[in-house]
Amino acid sequence: MADEVVDHGRRRFLTVTTAAVGGIGVVAAAVPFVESWQPSARARAAGAPVTQSLKKIEPGQQLIVAWRSLPIFIVNRTPQQLATLPKLNPRLVDPNSDVGQQPAYAKNETRSIKPQWLVMIGICTHLGCVPDYKGKIEPEPFDPNWQGGFYCPCHHSHYDIAGRVYKNMPAPKNMEIPAYHFIDDTTVQIGVDPKGAA
Amino acid sequence: MSNVWSNLGDWITERTPGMLPMYRKHMTEYYAPKNFNLWYYFGSLALLVLVAQIITGIFLTMNYNPSAAGAFDSVQYIMRDVEWGWLIRYMHSTGASLFFIVVFLHMFRGIIYGSFKRPRELVWLLGMLIFLVLMAEAFMGYVLPWGNMSFWGAKVIISLFGTIPVIGTHLVEWIMGDFLPGDATLNRFFALHVVALPIVLLLLVVLHIAALHEVGSNNPDGVDVKHGVKGNRWSPLAPADGIPFHPYYTVKDLVGVGFLLLIAAFIIFFAPTLGGWFLEPDNSIAANNLVTPAQIKPVWYFSPFYAIVRMVPSFMDTAVWGVIAMFGSIFVLFAMPWLDRSPVKSIRYRGRGYKIALTVFVIAFLGLCAVGTDTTAEVIPAWFGDVDVTFWENLFGRLMTLLYFGFFVFLWAYTYFGWETTKPVPDRVTTHD
Amino acid sequence: MTKRQGLLRYFVLAALMCALGFASMAQAAEEGGFPSAGTNLRDQASLQRGARLFFNYCVGCHSLKYMRYSRIGEDLGLTEAEVMTNLNFTGAKYGEPVVSAMPADLAVTWFGKDPPDLSLEVEAKGADWVNAYLNSFYLDPSVPLGWNNTVLPNAAMPFPLWELQGMQRAVMAPGKDGQPGTVEKLELAQPGKLTPAQFQQATRDLTNFLEYASEPAALQRHRYGVWVLLFLAAFTLLAYALKREYWKDVHEA
Repeated sequence: MADEVVDHGRRRFLTVTTAAVGGIGVVAAAVPFVESWQPSARARAAGAPVTQSLKKIEPGQQLIVAWRSLPIFIVNRTPQQLATLPKLNPRLVDPNSDVGQQPAYAKNETRSIKPQWLVMIGICTHLGCVPDYKGKIEPEPFDPNWQGGFYCPCHHSHYDIAGRVYKNMPAPKNMEIPAYHFIDDTTVQIGVDPKGAA
Repeated sequence: MSNVWSNLGDWITERTPGMLPMYRKHMTEYYAPKNFNLWYYFGSLALLVLVAQIITGIFLTMNYNPSAAGAFDSVQYIMRDVEWGWLIRYMHSTGASLFFIVVFLHMFRGIIYGSFKRPRELVWLLGMLIFLVLMAEAFMGYVLPWGNMSFWGAKVIISLFGTIPVIGTHLVEWIMGDFLPGDATLNRFFALHVVALPIVLLLLVVLHIAALHEVGSNNPDGVDVKHGVKGNRWSPLAPADGIPFHPYYTVKDLVGVGFLLLIAAFIIFFAPTLGGWFLEPDNSIAANNLVTPAQIKPVWYFSPFYAIVRMVPSFMDTAVWGVIAMFGSIFVLFAMPWLDRSPVKSIRYRGRGYKIALTVFVIAFLGLCAVGTDTTAEVIPAWFGDVDVTFWENLFGRLMTLLYFGFFVFLWAYTYFGWETTKPVPDRVTTHD
Repeated sequence: MTKRQGLLRYFVLAALMCALGFASMAQAAEEGGFPSAGTNLRDQASLQRGARLFFNYCVGCHSLKYMRYSRIGEDLGLTEAEVMTNLNFTGAKYGEPVVSAMPADLAVTWFGKDPPDLSLEVEAKGADWVNAYLNSFYLDPSVPLGWNNTVLPNAAMPFPLWELQGMQRAVMAPGKDGQPGTVEKLELAQPGKLTPAQFQQATRDLTNFLEYASEPAALQRHRYGVWVLLFLAAFTLLAYALKREYWKDVHEA
């Protein structure tokens, strides 16, 4: 009866087209909601590169600055501290920094651009605590043969003065080196690679 | 491809035997009268706006900070720093006002076509409960941005409860959790606005629709389709004047959805404050308990009810009468099924007295709107020059209040004593598109 | 009732609602009765000039605490270097909000109150009000700061743009029954660096910038709005065609 006059082709075409256009509309409407999860302007401003003068950091001293809410350790390492690095190699998990915990320009013995200056994200690779700076080369309660470095108070991981982790510690990897570069001899900017480096 | 889908359908149906019958009962085999007109769009549109409010609301909570110190800043953070935050907030603020426009029209539809009458009294009561919860939801949402209108609106509305004799003062402090609206107030309103009341709303909406589908939809002719002539092209047992809700009313409602979204998008993108009607200028000033805004007036959708509070004078040393009248103006609507005793549902077949009374009721409602939004306070001096504005505004507002309540008294007497001369109701629905 | 009559009623209803809506919007627009500020957010050059005026004459006391320098740069078509040298005189970082360098306690000592943040000034007061306010300062020896304003009487702010506009003097209308007189109009007592027409353009630019700062998203709104409306119109037409197609069944049944 009436079914015979229904143009099924037209009906199917309109149904599919309306569904498709409606679907496009729903997806387009979802885009702003998905994108609202991106870091906001405030987060991006707070995550902007941080510039820090090094003038007031005495040899052997550590300064902590915040970058993207992360504690950034800046250490003015003495020649004595640097001299411990090669000696410690046998006691470390990853002495040559083969694991990608640093930019290519900091993959070297001192894990830094300039040997004197350590710039490092001060977060233990075990469960995210902030390790204490134990820079002096002197016996410590946790290691009578301490060569200077970082000691995590949470689960007692030991790191050397380049942030390399000791063997048989809870922490699996060396601490991370952020992107940074020197604007001039005494100013460092964290969050930006040196010119020409990837 | 189609095989995959039908196999998937079979797989699900086997495991949830109730699903397909439920879908059929409410969609493909729910026979709605075929003569629905423009007024019948607003039910499904209200559902659409509810869903949109819930989605946008969830995303707003992700960046909103419910504290007296941080709320106002966090709204500006959403407007400026969060990607697309402005769009999500404007969708929510525009949606709030559109919700009330749609719901008012939906309720008016129920009144003119007698949709509250037997056997749909429960549908109406559940709908009124939805309206009541919606007003609470809207009020608490209005407080959250913590602008100066939010703050003073909260203070004034909560103070309404303070007019209740004996317990009033304690009740006000209990609602605020403080001696002025503050952190405690904001936090509890936030919890109610985003968690508790939406759950209640959703539950009531499900019950509202379930109750409706049990008795079947009314229509502009007020004809009982369900118990009339049987047999249509889809089923010999179905009502002759009924058509399957899906696909006929789903595709029709889609057109309504398109129109509503066009209106909403125009407001959201080109006039989000709508000249101060949807978002008030004074609310872009942070809450300040020392400075009252120049005019404390409620947002438009509360204005007719709030106007009644202002129009009822206090006597016997208490201002509670205005508050009683305001709540009365809402609760009297609950009684519609028992006030209106006319045997005829639709306005099309009702007496002239009813039509006149209803027109007067609409005028009274809009008039109270004008009083509540302070439009009369602006219009009276503009039109009549140097006159006593308060006197004339009160006279007008009180007349409108009397007419508002008078409608219900008249309606009861008119139908109870049989003064109404109705026209014969046809057996079948008349026009349809 | 025929179908045609039914439709007609809806058109009348819709027309009435539209008329009511526009009437109320027009009413709202006229509120206060200030002349139109004539701002235009699409005029980027005007926004840039307004920003320059704000950072030269206003930011000494007033903050835009919800507005970031970086956002101003992006929206006004300025490079980071241009913003940092031409607009940012406080040493704030590019991504930071615009905060006045003036300490709040000092401001209270000088002006009796903390100069308000202007981030939402236009949203709260309206562009017309702000523009009128900026044009309505006059010399008034009877108030402590020497400056008064017809739009906001006894404003706590001494006129910061006087070197541009010059100095206005009030022409007083005599008061009734011994009441103090009212300001009838303002006239230029001493010209400034700009001609009156140039000064009006300058305040329009400044108001325009403040309007932008009230709601930077307005730029995006206008950009996307047209496309959204076109898309929805197409969808609605399509849905209507679909409805017509399906409802053929109902007409035959």
